[in-house]
Amino acid sequence: MKSSFDKIYDALRSIKLASVLLVLLALFAVAGGILPQGKTADFYQLHFPGAGSGIILALGLDHVFSSLLFLLVAAIFAVNLTVCTFHRLTGEFSKPRGKRRHGPDILHLGLIILMFGGILTARTRTETLINLRKGESADLPDGAKIVLVDLNYEQYPDGRPKSWESTVAIHKGVAAQGAPAATSGGLPRYHVKVNAPLRRKGYSIYQQSWHTEKQVVLKDAMGMSFALEPGMREATKDGFVLFMALDNPSLTTAAATSDTLPQSAVFLLEEHGKRTVVKVAPGQGIGPFIFDGYIDQSISGLAVVSDRGYPFVEAGFILVILGIFITYIRKLKGMLA
Amino acid sequence: MIATIAFGLLIVSLIIQIVYLFKKNGGQDRVSPWISLSAGILLLVEIVRRSIAIRFVALTGMFESLIFLACFLALLIFALRYFKSAKGNRVIPFGATIIALIFLALASSPLAPSEIKPPVPALQSGWLVLHVSFTFIGEVFFTVGFVSAILQLVTKNEEKRQSYDRVTYTSIAVGYPIFTAGALIFGAIWAEKAWGVWWSWDPKETWALITWLTYTAYLHLRLVRKSTSRLVPTLVIVGFAVAMFTFFGVNFLLKGLHSYA
Ligand code: HEM
Repeated sequence: MKSSFDKIYDALRSIKLASVLLVLLALFAVAGGILPQGKTADFYQLHFPGAGSGIILALGLDHVFSSLLFLLVAAIFAVNLTVCTFHRLTGEFSKPRGKRRHGPDILHLGLIILMFGGILTARTRTETLINLRKGESADLPDGAKIVLVDLNYEQYPDGRPKSWESTVAIHKGVAAQGAPAATSGGLPRYHVKVNAPLRRKGYSIYQQSWHTEKQVVLKDAMGMSFALEPGMREATKDGFVLFMALDNPSLTTAAATSDTLPQSAVFLLEEHGKRTVVKVAPGQGIGPFIFDGYIDQSISGLAVVSDRGYPFVEAGFILVILGIFITYIRKLKGMLA
Repeated sequence: MIATIAFGLLIVSLIIQIVYLFKKNGGQDRVSPWISLSAGILLLVEIVRRSIAIRFVALTGMFESLIFLACFLALLIFALRYFKSAKGNRVIPFGATIIALIFLALASSPLAPSEIKPPVPALQSGWLVLHVSFTFIGEVFFTVGFVSAILQLVTKNEEKRQSYDRVTYTSIAVGYPIFTAGALIFGAIWAEKAWGVWWSWDPKETWALITWLTYTAYLHLRLVRKSTSRLVPTLVIVGFAVAMFTFFGVNFLLKGLHSYA
């Protein structure tokens, strides 16, 4: 007579349960693969009128992979996999040496470690985006500072991007915000490229995006010119001049870099405490300055990612590959004629 | 041009195979596997030619993917003669030849522009090359498993059914490790290097996972279900359908990180 503990144990290690759960997980993934994820309730009511949106929202299918139901099934599956792996493993060890088959065990163990890594990633991974213009700096998670020394963009003859690469310097000491590249003088340089992140202890830096921004060039009474990025201001005797935006923002995209159109810009002008919004064309004055034109400033989008789960994921990957090939290479011997 | 010649060769191979299918106890023809091999080699030449032109493995567009699939399928059709369980079978190479022809026909459709383009930064990665090539080679074995699973379901002869079951299982047993390494593991490693996130539930990833779960369910159910189970081969058919949806459907119907590919 089996105790109820034994019955539960047998159920939890059964391959039938595993198969049912695998199919269930696949069905959840189908829902997540078809239904748009993470939209508002209104969105689902609009696109799936009647009972449809009710079911979607009640089951959490608007965010399948973090929904309670999916996580519950995944958790049962994880228990199933763990119990089954250790049961099988102990079974194998009680066999004589020559008869042991450890391929599936290594594979299943790898999957358990992979799942653990996945949970860790989901719960603790952090990603910070920083946008740097040449010479600008930003803080890194370990307190160091990163300075963008140079940035390089290459195109193929047909205009498609060929490479994006940032050259950065990293230093521990104090550096003023927007420190010029010169202060990063003797520091070692690193390159960050798409597909070639910069690995640091505890985090990695990725070349994530790349854009150009139009800045306005103003000239003061002495004939000195300087550039302002959107949102930046320059102090004047009576107040300040703030560059708000281009008059036609759609021209800020790549198409506008050819600089064919003289284009107006919108400024906020403060004089003696009174603020006015003014539209200025190139060549005209704004406060004490002359609006001289535009320059294109490249901005490097870097992602600083820390993911403590990934080393476990990598270990899991290695075991899975190892286990799976051991399993099938054994079986395939003898399948060839 | 080369692809068109390969297409022509496979048509010739198909016709020869049809003739032999209708011959009573005619055995397997000796010619069509060699034609298939030639078509595969021609397509390989085309892939190499395109790769030299862009100085990178030419595997990044829909056209190139289809050529690659057809190429390895044609080579596998030839290799089937060396599989114990598939040897002498006439229907499996026939079905697989039809699918290879479908891949090539799709490659020549306007959905798959064939101009040669060097890769954008995200695609310039050795992991990407491993990811894509392993995934497709795995899927080529799934294709043979698919054909054989259909035959396994429709045949009334018990002996034949068992022999088809062996071919189905062998194909999946070879394809599954390759697909797992390629689609899931190399894919995740590449994603981590390119974007800093190894898994992001984008539609292409999600559908690749569904494909993998389906074949995983097949492999486990086959351990516990009776050998006459119809559900077991059905999972192989569903798996192939999902794999093809991952390949075509996600590109054209659903958008995600991968939609540039
Ligand atoms: C995503 C999860 C899983 C994957 C990828 C996986 C993969 C595999 C593979 C590839 C095999 C070899 C099958 C064959 O003989 O062709 C296998 C065997 C097996 N799996 Fe899993 N598995 C998973 C989950 C589970 C779970 C949850 C259980 C628990 C019930 C389980 C129990 C077994 C058993 C008992 C075998 C038989 C090993 C043998 O042949 O002696 N698996 N698994």
